Amino acid sequence: MSIITKSRLSFPGGIHPPEKKDLTSDSPIQSGPVVKQVAVMLSQHIGAICRPLVRKANMVQAGQKIGDCDAFVSAPVHSPITGKVTEIALRPHAVMGRSQAIVIEAYTGNPTKRSYFRLKDGFDVGKYSIERICEAVRQAGIVGMGGAGFPTRVKIEPNPRLPKKIMIVNGCECEPYITCDYRIMLEWTSEIIAGIKLAQKASGCPEVIIGIEDNKPEAIEAMNTALDSSGRNDDIKVVPVKTKYPQGGERQLIRSILKRNVPTGGIPPMIGVLVLNVATCAAIAEAVIADLPLTHRVVTVTGEAIARPGNYYVSIGTSVEQLIEFCGGVTQKSARVILGGPMMGIAIADLETPITKTTGAITIITKEQMGKAKFAGRQTACIRCGRCLQSCPENLNPTKIAHAVKNNLLDVAEDCFMSACIECGCCSYVCPANIELTGYIKTGKIFLARQRKKMPK
Amino acid sequence: MLRDITVSSGPHISKGLSTRSVMIDVIIGLVPAMVAAGYYFRIHAIILVVTCIVSSVVTEWICNLIRKKPNSLDDFSAVVTGIILAFSLPPGFPIWAAVIGSMFAIAVGKMVFGGLGANIFNPAMVGRAFLTASFGMMMTTWTVPATIDSTMPKISAENTMDARTQATPLALSKEAQKTKAGALQVKQQIEAAFIGEVGGCLGETSALALLIGGIYLLIRRTISFHIPLVVIVSAFVFSTIAYLINSQAYISPLTHLCSGGLLIGAFFIATDPVTAPLTRRGMWLFGFGVGTITMLIRIVGEYPEGVMYSVLLMNAVTPLIDRLFKRIPAGGRPGA
Repeated sequence: MSIITKSRLSFPGGIHPPEKKDLTSDSPIQSGPVVKQVAVMLSQHIGAICRPLVRKANMVQAGQKIGDCDAFVSAPVHSPITGKVTEIALRPHAVMGRSQAIVIEAYTGNPTKRSYFRLKDGFDVGKYSIERICEAVRQAGIVGMGGAGFPTRVKIEPNPRLPKKIMIVNGCECEPYITCDYRIMLEWTSEIIAGIKLAQKASGCPEVIIGIEDNKPEAIEAMNTALDSSGRNDDIKVVPVKTKYPQGGERQLIRSILKRNVPTGGIPPMIGVLVLNVATCAAIAEAVIADLPLTHRVVTVTGEAIARPGNYYVSIGTSVEQLIEFCGGVTQKSARVILGGPMMGIAIADLETPITKTTGAITIITKEQMGKAKFAGRQTACIRCGRCLQSCPENLNPTKIAHAVKNNLLDVAEDCFMSACIECGCCSYVCPANIELTGYIKTGKIFLARQRKKMPK
Repeated sequence: MLRDITVSSGPHISKGLSTRSVMIDVIIGLVPAMVAAGYYFRIHAIILVVTCIVSSVVTEWICNLIRKKPNSLDDFSAVVTGIILAFSLPPGFPIWAAVIGSMFAIAVGKMVFGGLGANIFNPAMVGRAFLTASFGMMMTTWTVPATIDSTMPKISAENTMDARTQATPLALSKEAQKTKAGALQVKQQIEAAFIGEVGGCLGETSALALLIGGIYLLIRRTISFHIPLVVIVSAFVFSTIAYLINSQAYISPLTHLCSGGLLIGAFFIATDPVTAPLTRRGMWLFGFGVGTITMLIRIVGEYPEGVMYSVLLMNAVTPLIDRLFKRIPAGGRPGA
């Protein structure tokens, strides 16, 4: 095993929270619970919400498309199990409050269990045309699995107006606790490489860079080995980047690797870059080669308050409660159930919330983990120490924006570029006054959106 | 099983810093200078420091009571203000005047603005400016360290003050430089000022102790190096230029660095986060202003010491500096 030295590739700002990945980093991906009921959200992505294609009391097959939309920026949803639609009803959604979902009761006679997709020998990217790749990705309902959930077809499709030159594969996983991408990189390496090649072909990127944080030397090693064995050509390379939060943010990763900035309010294609998550790449291979839709994903169930932390291959639509029970339940001290990691994840109150395509982890932490300041729960006045400014990866002034929002001065907040905030949470993490800076900024963005809706230009 | 789960906006973990922990760090950073003060000025130093702390804390408590605000004493900021104010007083300073100064520092310097975080000027410097304006004579009466003169100075009516007081290196140098004999004295003065065996305000005597405290704060990352560095460098450059032009009239740059309030100002006063700029570039300008104005006052002006006024002046322009160096997002202005 080669020694991977510490990488210097980094971006200004950022923080170093405790990684806590050792809770689950050594636990291989295992099958999740065999569920009796799933609730598949009709909106699991950025873009137009799906129309249900089935009705109450319809029978559905595993992998059957149950929701779709004609809009360009959208992705269909599929049933992960064979069974009967019991209702189309509102289910709690971490971001959107309550949202439409198709509830499916499993057919008890023959519970479906999907095995992991394994790449067979003789994979040749030349056999697949660009149109076929894009269509398969679209039909499989693949969205960015790193968290944002942008429909992947829209990203990889050739666009003459914004030609893509470099594809960056995001294997950073900078969020503390989470290890689902890490395990995928170790276990499904050749599938990821196949997906990368397919996406590369579809998007027409001459160069591919796989960015992995240098705290995951095994993953870097595994990817390099897989590249060698699949016939390495120089256009795909693995680049270790510095371990720092939020290195896995696409703007930060581009800054670290390419030393270029994505314009504020813009998207990476504007500078000819395409960023895909490693899990998304594996899903692309699965969709194109095996024609399997995105109905399952790897979810890290972790945190100090869960009995059996691990990485599970879970049906999308499984409720958080079912998954927690499957992992042995929570211990007495549990204080917060988070969909995602502790930095950017969203705390949920309703455990009926289903897993979506973008849920990479469930983190259940105790009061101790929340930090002394949070534990006290007391907010003091801003002492203008400037820690939030130094930690902001987007070079903003979080304290000024947050205080503008607090005083309902949205024009001042926008004047300080509130919309450029990526909501990474670094500012709240470092704040000695325990001010929920990120919370204020998120609130301000929502207020601003409402205000603009009321007063069209 | 999950009866106690709570929700809030993310992030759900924190570094665990608190305003109190930051202030305690500053207090720890001030301990070496406190020890030096205790060593050189004995009981006088201790009495003054305790007086200032107690009266600052009590004043803040009363102000909160009047304003019907929650108690804010547990952030320890009043303690820091008290210590720094005490450090900028001469050792023989009367207790009653120190109490008045502390009350003014907290009440007018901090609480009328809305408490910690809202004040424009450094409270301790406001207190000191008030005392300088009100009791100018007492504020410039520096007693000799106890290690030089074993008879501890007492301010009483029967003794003339001059017998047991000594000018600070700065005050002395302005006179001494004019004679040849004074030159050697100045050299010894620099060494003495570095370890602290000179007359002067409580916390300003020992450059060494202040450096130790300052380095502690830098290592703990309680303060960033920007302001101290640029204050010291700009003061050094300015005084060197003056010294090179006329070494007879102006004292050496090293004397300037090691004496007076320059080091305590650079590490503990100018770095007060509330009254210093937020951005790095703003800090450079702020520090440059503090260093340069201090030297202007010392070299061109009538006062031997200028840190207090330079800090207060730069505090006043801090909002302007923050506006000048507005942060632009990493991706540039939107739509640009």
